[in-house]
Amino acid sequence: VMRPMSCPQFASSFAGESAVPSNLLLPTNLVDPSRTKRPPPSADCSLPVLRTCDAAIPAHLSPIQTWVETLERQDSEPVGVAQLHPDVFAVQPRLDILHQVEIWQRNFKRISHAHTKVRSEVKGGGRKPWNQKGGGRARHGSIRSPIWRGGGVSHGPRGPTSYYYMLPMKVRVQGLKVALSSKMTQDYLHIVDSLNIPTPDPQYLLDLIRHRHWGQSVLIVHVGEELPENILQATADMKTVNIIPAIGLNVHSMLKHEALVLTMETVQFLEEKLLWHDKRYTPLYPFKLPYSDL
Amino acid sequence: MSFPKKPGGKATDILQNLPRITLANLRPEPGSKKLWKRLLASHGGNRSGRGHKGERQRGNRPRLGFVGGSTPFYLAIPKYGYNEGHSCRPQYQPLSLKRLQYLIDLGRVDPTQPIDLTQLVNARGVTVQPLKRDYGVQLVDEGADIFAAKINIEVQRASEGAIAAIERNGGVVTTSFYDPISLGILIKPVPFFLRGQPIPRRMLPGEDMVPYYTNAENRGYLADPEKIQQARLALAQKYGYILPDISKDELYHMLSMRKDVRQIFFGLAPGWVVNMTEKKILKPTDEKLLKYYSS
Repeated sequence: VMRPMSCPQFASSFAGESAVPSNLLLPTNLVDPSRTKRPPPSADCSLPVLRTCDAAIPAHLSPIQTWVETLERQDSEPVGVAQLHPDVFAVQPRLDILHQVEIWQRNFKRISHAHTKVRSEVKGGGRKPWNQKGGGRARHGSIRSPIWRGGGVSHGPRGPTSYYYMLPMKVRVQGLKVALSSKMTQDYLHIVDSLNIPTPDPQYLLDLIRHRHWGQSVLIVHVGEELPENILQATADMKTVNIIPAIGLNVHSMLKHEALVLTMETVQFLEEKLLWHDKRYTPLYPFKLPYSDL
Repeated sequence: MSFPKKPGGKATDILQNLPRITLANLRPEPGSKKLWKRLLASHGGNRSGRGHKGERQRGNRPRLGFVGGSTPFYLAIPKYGYNEGHSCRPQYQPLSLKRLQYLIDLGRVDPTQPIDLTQLVNARGVTVQPLKRDYGVQLVDEGADIFAAKINIEVQRASEGAIAAIERNGGVVTTSFYDPISLGILIKPVPFFLRGQPIPRRMLPGEDMVPYYTNAENRGYLADPEKIQQARLALAQKYGYILPDISKDELYHMLSMRKDVRQIFFGLAPGWVVNMTEKKILKPTDEKLLKYYSS
């Protein structure tokens, strides 16, 4: 039985700019207390700027500054500063788009194979069991009608049903951007200069993550086919730390893992791919076929 | 804006203090999901909205249009051929000069090259559907007073005012005919090349369209060039502007580029096969094929 959904009514409290709504009740053990919010790098930082945005940033926005860390040592000193494009890493936190994309990802692949037989498909039941009149019993036409034991199901699931549907391409792209932005704002996104680690020992990574308070689970995203052997070996048997290629980045994986680690080449790749959709024409024919100007 | 806006707005500030967004935290926008309610008793149940007895409840109403026995409306009114032959009538997607100027200003259409229907479709300026009896694009006068671009444009139909506006600015208009198959190839060249078929010859217009395309007034591609020059002078006199001399123009070579009667693409002749993957063009060598494709 479906219960009608009643969402908590958040009172708007925009009088105070960064105030949490006053009637929001949160349990106190939600956030790890030792996970302090690290302030973003200021303009007069001594560390070098390792990456600037290639794509043009609109005039009314400014690039986002983040720390660039390294995996080679376990201490938590950042190595440099990176600039990220605001139209990918600081978009409006559209939670409804995140929900839509997450539900789509779950359901579009679903094929339910539940199948029941209707009264015409159940074996037997062609003959009238007894005469219409004179038996003293109720009148019946077949022994497989739905009111009989062993009879067919009237309104059951019918055959493999597909739940396939596609959200528009731009909605899916916006879902990725919103997920990246929410990781950025809530301080779960970490940029790393490269994925070289000194040992293929999984314990090294776990200690590093615990030392830097990154969280329970980490998703590492890389680009290209060459990867250092150490990190592949280290993450091979680990359930909570996973490494995926950038083309496999999706909203479900980003929400499932607490922390997201991107290399600088990954950031370049993602910015290029996600920003292209803002400026492209509508397709005349599928994008897989060659275009001379897009 | 004099000061830069913070990307993301106030929502990012609030989000920084809220718990982590996880799979357990997502919910749909309030009001987007409406629950399906079962119809019980007085809420759609009992007679289920079908009324009481009779044909209505029993699902035996007569056919659509039946009015109880007298002559129904759709038989009483006599026929007239308003839509007769509508599927054989050629349609032309209108392209106003205002839209053309807009596309040139935004840089979507290049005025330094001949403007073809392929260029217009690549710029997403017009949408042509050859399967819906579209035979191409027609130029419409709207925006003739603000039009100021020197272009070499080829369309399928053009109104007199549009021709005047383009020639006043030193441009060239040509009207040419594309049969439906050639039109389909013209607007989407890449899927055609991927089919691997040789480029076909463009068919000549049918009987009813030949007078239109041989008329110099319409700048038809089958008309006499001298008569076209006379028609240009006549139009300049009619609309009251001085006809600029194109032959002294620096872009004269581009402005005088015209397609052959049987040619679909500039630079590609009928009979050639274009290989997109290997970036090669294959030309026929057999005599009979060459004779056929050059006829």
